[in-house]
Amino acid sequence: MEGIRLLLVDDEEEFRGTIAKRLTLRGISPEQAASGEECLSVLEKMPMDVVVLDVKMPGMSGIEALHHIKEKYPKTEVILLTGHATTLDGVEGIKAGAFDYLSKPIELDHLIGKIKHAYDKIRREEEKLKEAEFREKMEQQMIATERLASLGTLAAGVAHEINNPLAIIKESAGWMKLILKKDECAEIPRKQDFDMALNKIEKGVERAKRITLQLLGFARKDDSVLAELNLKELADEAIRLVTREAANKDIEIVQEMDIPGNTIWSDPYQLRQVLINLLTNAIHATGSGGNITIKLEVIGEEVALSVQDTGQGIPKENLERIFEPFFSTKSPGEGTGLGLFVTRGIVEKLGGKIEVESRLGHGTSFCIKLPKYLEVKEGLAGRDHTDILNKIIKMG
Amino acid sequence: MIKIPTRVLLVDDEKDFVEMLSLRLEEVGERVTPAHSGQECLEILEKDNIDVVVLDIKMPGMDGIETLREIKRRFPIVEVIMLTGHGTTETAVEGMKLGAFDYLMKPADFDDLAVKMEGARKRKDEQEERIRKAEATFLLRKSGNI
Ligand SMILES: Nc1ncnc2c1ncn2[C@@H]1O[C@H](COP(=O)(O)OP(=O)(O)O)[C@@H](O)[C@H]1O
Ligand SMILES: [Mg+2]
Ligand SMILES: [Mg+2]
Repeated sequence: MEGIRLLLVDDEEEFRGTIAKRLTLRGISPEQAASGEECLSVLEKMPMDVVVLDVKMPGMSGIEALHHIKEKYPKTEVILLTGHATTLDGVEGIKAGAFDYLSKPIELDHLIGKIKHAYDKIRREEEKLKEAEFREKMEQQMIATERLASLGTLAAGVAHEINNPLAIIKESAGWMKLILKKDECAEIPRKQDFDMALNKIEKGVERAKRITLQLLGFARKDDSVLAELNLKELADEAIRLVTREAANKDIEIVQEMDIPGNTIWSDPYQLRQVLINLLTNAIHATGSGGNITIKLEVIGEEVALSVQDTGQGIPKENLERIFEPFFSTKSPGEGTGLGLFVTRGIVEKLGGKIEVESRLGHGTSFCIKLPKYLEVKEGLAGRDHTDILNKIIKMG
Repeated sequence: MIKIPTRVLLVDDEKDFVEMLSLRLEEVGERVTPAHSGQECLEILEKDNIDVVVLDIKMPGMDGIETLREIKRRFPIVEVIMLTGHGTTETAVEGMKLGAFDYLMKPADFDDLAVKMEGARKRKDEQEERIRKAEATFLLRKSGNI
């Protein structure tokens, strides 16, 4: 019963003192209160596991105090001490939620036994509660994962279907442009207007194509590859792909990747996509002259890869939403709102997780934690992303 | 310089796509025959002279891969460029193994298509040239022997 928090309430000071002393000798040092009122004010300051409560006290009676305790601190267990001839009080008390009662004069071993039982009950219930909470969390996670999986399938289907009409629009516009370039069309009135509109159509198609590609990139099934990869090299590659954009804004990209153990076993293409997404976002958010740090840490069997910028930061109300598909604060031509959605999808698929910290006006840091070894027991079959998702579901 | 048109067979179940891409290709001087299924594609190859087949992978009925296999079995000299969806690289790789010249992701870039068609056409011409030479040597040898 180590660490038990016990409160002893009795108006008879001598009796209370003796019991307290003897309990202390047995390893339980109780707090003390001399009345129902004092008992409640102690509880307000210090939560208790068990209260040993005299029933017959001047002022607030023990039964009254019990009602208050059970109402305000339902987890606290109460053992009543009744006078010898008043077992009725004990029965009343149990109806009101007391754990048990003892008639005075009491035997110490008896009391300790009851305290122990009460304490065990509390611990059992705490455990049960924890388990229920854990199960609920798991269930929520499963729902989220399943939703992500079906969303992925849906998105891929939609993207495929949209690509066909997109191809038709694209070829039609391209053909019209060809015709307009012919000599026979040299003289048609308002030719520039047609040219301008056709260019807009083509640009629109490009934009829609970007969206479908990103969606399919998230849901793609069959080119997940697992390999040993050097994260420093991966970062070099990703940085190279965004370096011009960064240079245009005079942003410096700093690497802190040169540490031992910077190789992991994972999917290089998808991880490169993740880094590109994070770096692009960081560049968009950072004003000229700012800098971006990409940093690697090894923590046990995990690696933590973070991309940190000195940009505008993310307002609190957006922090919850940035991973939603199509959530974007950028103009329609610039952002699809799919970057972080896809990024999180990939990271979770690879058995990792992504976290974000941000201070408005100071900068943002995205941190990805990944297992050093992504184990795929199903072998080649495990390359199918639904399999990996299933695994995640099973792992909870 | 007059461009020698490439004889293209364009196969896709999307009729509007076939129609518009045909018009566009014809506009830049190619000669296009449209087809809307794998079956139709093979029938046309039976009777017409085709340099390059542009073949959609996803079609109802006989799909692109099956069609490709049939083309390579019956008309090995004809070059095939596949049109695939994104995320189906594996299918594309399978197609390459079966002897396709190259593949493009839909919606494809017209200039990419032009470049790949040019390459396919060139490879076919070279193949034909080689066969012609081989046949000639063969005939020569044969007549020499007699
Ligand atoms: N490094 C960052 N700093 C500030 N805001 C960010 C950062 N990364 C992402 N965001 C916010 O999250 C939103 C969603 O990002 P993302 O999913 O990549 O879509 P997109 O970049 O196309 O808008 C962005 O529009 C932006 O508001
Ligand atoms: Mg983005
Ligand atoms: Mg099709």
